[in-house]
Amino acid sequence: MNKLIEIENLNYTVRSNSLLSNAETKTILKNISLEIGTNEIIGITGESGSGKTTLIKLIAGILKPSSGKIKFVLLKEWQSLKTNPVQILFQNNNEILNPFRFIEDIVEEAILLRNKGKIDIDTEKQKIFGSVGFKDELRKRKGFELSGGEQQRAALSRILAAKPELLILDEPFSAQDVESQLNLLNLFKKINEEYNLTMICVAHNLKILRKLADRIFVMYNGEIVESGSIEDIFNSPKNDYTKFLLKCENYNLKYDDLKFKTNLTI
Amino acid sequence: MLQVQIEEITIKTPAQNRVLLNDAFFNIGENQIFTILGKNGSGKSTFAKSITGLLDEGYYSVYGSVYFNERDIFSLSIEELLKLRRDKIKYVFQDAMNSFNHLKKLKYYFELLAKNKNEIDDLLGYFLLPDSEKLFKMYPYEVSGGMAQRISFVLALLSKPELIILDEPTSGIDSAIANLFLLKLKEFVKQDKNSVLLITQDILFAEKVSDKIAYLSNNRLSAFYNVKDFLNKKDDPLLVDFLEANNQIKA
Repeated sequence: MNKLIEIENLNYTVRSNSLLSNAETKTILKNISLEIGTNEIIGITGESGSGKTTLIKLIAGILKPSSGKIKFVLLKEWQSLKTNPVQILFQNNNEILNPFRFIEDIVEEAILLRNKGKIDIDTEKQKIFGSVGFKDELRKRKGFELSGGEQQRAALSRILAAKPELLILDEPFSAQDVESQLNLLNLFKKINEEYNLTMICVAHNLKILRKLADRIFVMYNGEIVESGSIEDIFNSPKNDYTKFLLKCENYNLKYDDLKFKTNLTI
Repeated sequence: MLQVQIEEITIKTPAQNRVLLNDAFFNIGENQIFTILGKNGSGKSTFAKSITGLLDEGYYSVYGSVYFNERDIFSLSIEELLKLRRDKIKYVFQDAMNSFNHLKKLKYYFELLAKNKNEIDDLLGYFLLPDSEKLFKMYPYEVSGGMAQRISFVLALLSKPELIILDEPTSGIDSAIANLFLLKLKEFVKQDKNSVLLITQDILFAEKVSDKIAYLSNNRLSAFYNVKDFLNKKDDPLLVDFLEANNQIKA
């Protein structure tokens, strides 16, 4: 397996600069090291505030690390292009899709940016809309005229048009019923194969990650406390926090198990 | 305890009347948790609101009746209805944040419902919330959505109702807190003549907490089945697709 990303001793800290109190530094991510291979689907889980989103923002280059290295081993000549090889599918697609433009035009623009006119746009559009299951009659709609699930597919079409090497999915399954979750799950798997895409999926829903991911990283308090294959994590979890998460997920928690939550109150 | 006999709920639009729900007939007994499962947009929340007449009469028409301890809720005067909603039937809504007036400190809500500080602090502690001293000084906009949902549940419990109706209690909170809801609901229905109506799309949560489950889809509410029977229901066409998708994710 070829390596796509190598992360070494990544740290991320923030400073609060308040006029009234002394400046405090807070560590958001501690000593994160990991490798991701091409074509892999990686799941990242952990509760709110564990640093999942910060980690994907660092990988996408939205944030700069305080220390440590993120090394990309990209196969193609990305420097000459106008699109980013790392794309994120965000949660709030309704705010992201331009309300003044047709979905079709948004996708077409991304195709043009990526391919510099060497390509038959209509065929490419057809292929992309087809593979995400975006209905033809919706192409001439604007983002706000679509349902949540349709918006997600529209946003995904635009991302695929940019032909990324790494696709990051930020809580794509939240607020969806089981049938939609299942459709989406199958869609991501299909895209992973069709487009040879490496994927990172952030989700608190372990049941879905189990079906989607090849490997899982469990985060707690800014650290990766356990990582492993689906087998390892679900059948023989070693870390207490992973065990706690699995219990929570199955609604088998007893009140005394809540010691992991004591820092949560506010 | 609660007898629901709703024949039809329709939504009025300028062009036409659209039917949201047909024929919802069931009784909720004492000391039981009844759950309605359904997909997004199936009309679950609208139905829950219709029970105590919370729907806007300008947009919705509800045909039928709902009896609470033998009294017809729809024929109560507004004063009696407000009293019923204050003392007997409490809601915990999905967007609990909107249940609060943002210009009133949280203290206002607690003092309306409970006098006993220890009781309040015990419940706040149970749900990993700040104690009353801290929380009472806060405004609703200062708490997160998940906290608002827990506060709303605590307030419902403090008013010692006979029936709690929860609309998607697990959707905005992480699964550890959802476990707390589950434990507390089970404790609540064991007391007095209490019962619970739960609206959710989280089938596992429903499985773990409920005594009876029904499924709402295509404007129709299925019968309420015991949990085991529900999960093995192969002859109800309403249920088949839903259970199939659920099993595929679980397997």
